[in-house]
Amino acid sequence: MNLLAALGYAVFERAADSSFQLAGPAPDWLPAGPIEEAFPFLEVFLPDAEEFWVNPGNRKSLYSDLWAQNELHFCAIAVAGDKKVLLIECAEPRFQQTQNFVQYAHEVSLARDQIAKLTQAKSEFLARMSHEIRTPMNALLGMVELLSETPLNDEQRQYLRVFQRAGDNLLNVINDILDFSKVEAGQIELENIEFDLAQVIEEAIEIGGVRARSKGLEVSSRIQPDVPTRLIGDPGRLRQILLNLLGNATKFTDHGKLTVLVESDKQGLLHFSVSDTGIGIPADRLATIFESFSQADVSTTRKYGGTGLGLAISKRFVELMGGRIWAESTVGAGSTIHFTARFAVAEGPAQKPTENAPVVLNARALRILLADDSEENRFLIRGYLKDSGSIIDEVENGAQAVEQFKQRAYDVVLMDAEMPVMDGYSATRQIRALGATPIVLLTAHAFKEAKARSYEAGGTEHLTKPIKKATLLEAINKFVPINDRIQVSVEEWLKPVVGGYLEKRRGDVQTLREALDCGDFDTIRTLGHQMSGTGGGYGFEPITEIGGVLEESALAGDTARIRASIEDLDRFLSAVRLE
Amino acid sequence: MLKKKICMVGEFGVGKTSLVRRFVDSIFDERYLTTIGVKIDRKDVTVGSESVTLMLWDLAGEDDLAQLNVSHLRGASGYILVADGCRAASLAKAVELQQRIEGQLGSLPFVLVLNKADLRDRWEVKDTAVSERGWPTFETSAKAGSGVEEMFQALTKKLLQ
Repeated sequence: MNLLAALGYAVFERAADSSFQLAGPAPDWLPAGPIEEAFPFLEVFLPDAEEFWVNPGNRKSLYSDLWAQNELHFCAIAVAGDKKVLLIECAEPRFQQTQNFVQYAHEVSLARDQIAKLTQAKSEFLARMSHEIRTPMNALLGMVELLSETPLNDEQRQYLRVFQRAGDNLLNVINDILDFSKVEAGQIELENIEFDLAQVIEEAIEIGGVRARSKGLEVSSRIQPDVPTRLIGDPGRLRQILLNLLGNATKFTDHGKLTVLVESDKQGLLHFSVSDTGIGIPADRLATIFESFSQADVSTTRKYGGTGLGLAISKRFVELMGGRIWAESTVGAGSTIHFTARFAVAEGPAQKPTENAPVVLNARALRILLADDSEENRFLIRGYLKDSGSIIDEVENGAQAVEQFKQRAYDVVLMDAEMPVMDGYSATRQIRALGATPIVLLTAHAFKEAKARSYEAGGTEHLTKPIKKATLLEAINKFVPINDRIQVSVEEWLKPVVGGYLEKRRGDVQTLREALDCGDFDTIRTLGHQMSGTGGGYGFEPITEIGGVLEESALAGDTARIRASIEDLDRFLSAVRLE
Repeated sequence: MLKKKICMVGEFGVGKTSLVRRFVDSIFDERYLTTIGVKIDRKDVTVGSESVTLMLWDLAGEDDLAQLNVSHLRGASGYILVADGCRAASLAKAVELQQRIEGQLGSLPFVLVLNKADLRDRWEVKDTAVSERGWPTFETSAKAGSGVEEMFQALTKKLLQ
């Protein structure tokens, strides 16, 4: 007891009357009076201490939590033994040590939350910005594509090429920023598909070498014989890294050559290196060039341009591929950027490469519902589909799309995601509840949540703007069956006259077009009335339906609806076949 | 004089200690100091004609390293669940703590406090997330002092009923 008291504890023993008696000198910090009153904390510790004294098990003592009162920190300790001994410790040093440790953990945790919030806000801002930029880019680049399909003289074609290249460059910058924010937000998922390494290198040299060759640089590549070339991984991201490195090498090299080399390293990784004979990187900047928004010399931003994100993105991609990236350089002699990446080796027979034939719609003359609030984008989609003979009904928001969808059957719905009144996701959900028609969502959002949101709403496909013509047509081909023949079953006794009836209606199409051109609504109404009354009788319900619409629209003078109905009729008559 | 034990519980860093300091000493300190274990203060208050000594047990905020020791609430007349309006996760933690306390000690009077009302424009906690619980709720600012006295008074009144 004396030893414990000498160590600074206040030592108490439980007396026969259950009170705690001080068994030693009173430390100067000990308040006067019964300890239960002096230390209110004991009311929660003593029940545990009582249990412990009765049944200590293997333990020699039981410590309470620390508590603070009157600016001091204490701890109570129940000691096992013949007597019920309770120690009170003034535990300042222990408190200080614990607090330093916990305080540090809390501050780190709070700072981490703060950074996560800021990163989230930045990602949202970038996603919003990229959406705002991608929407007009969709119209601009799409129009260039359509324009290039029209007759042009050499001078115009030259201007258009510059336009296209500048647009592509701008899109690359936006994609860089977007990629970077995606990586930062943990949004990048690498693909795992079979690819031919030689082909990826060749394409990178082909695309990335254009500018180098125009500067008079020699561009070459070599894959060492022991490197397997049929691999499984993400060829798109690998190509992107190589293009980034080749782009940089070209930018900083005025004479000499660029070389891409691929070897196997000892750890089973592939070792890529891109060398140039350019200006080189100072030794003290070698490590920092892979940091975001960093360039070897701030003045290079003005001279050489670029966002300073290319190498940072490449570094993240390389790390995702299980490798690392580093640089070697001699100022004035050139640089080599090395990176390693891990790929699985593909087994079995090689897959045949797909051919790049121009894409056309498989199914002709589709009925398409297009919902987009942007007049420019609707114009673009119309342009993409103009040769397909499809009929496109256009609406400007989701609510209109749902209403229009209820009016007639469609082969496919093209739905912009962000529209006023009702957005594309809500409209998709409502249309999906009405039937299984394929719905292709078109968004300028490139984040994976947007894609997940499209599918969750019931979308069949999700395309990210800017959308190329081939991408749109491929998507429609994928989901719309080839049904360019409508089989109609006609009763036997009607067969001799049905051919003549259809022929007569084909003649009506021309008459209707001419009547519409000169505003002759009477003729349209009369023909519509005839069709409405006869179509169903011959077994052609759609003719009755179209006739009804024509009659009604002629009475209302609704030229747009008349024009659409004439196209409907033409389409039906071209497709109908008797069984 | 009548004594009532009231416990402050909630996630770390929500302002439990600052609320007590504001209430007991009318002080606010910008520095964040983590509470270790339990900090016990007392304050005499008068509600109507009745005087009562509040024993305020400020319990260390729960974090990834340490769970709230519910046994520290033994003998409590009521408790104050504190959340930081700027951190939605702290409200979720308060809800979780309430369930744990009720599970172990049964039903006790309590109030929910959304602290840091001086940063209202940065709040993540949605009004609906709070109102759907139907709990007596107070918005306080230990820094500016708003709502603190009212909150303690209201709980004390409830304890005396």
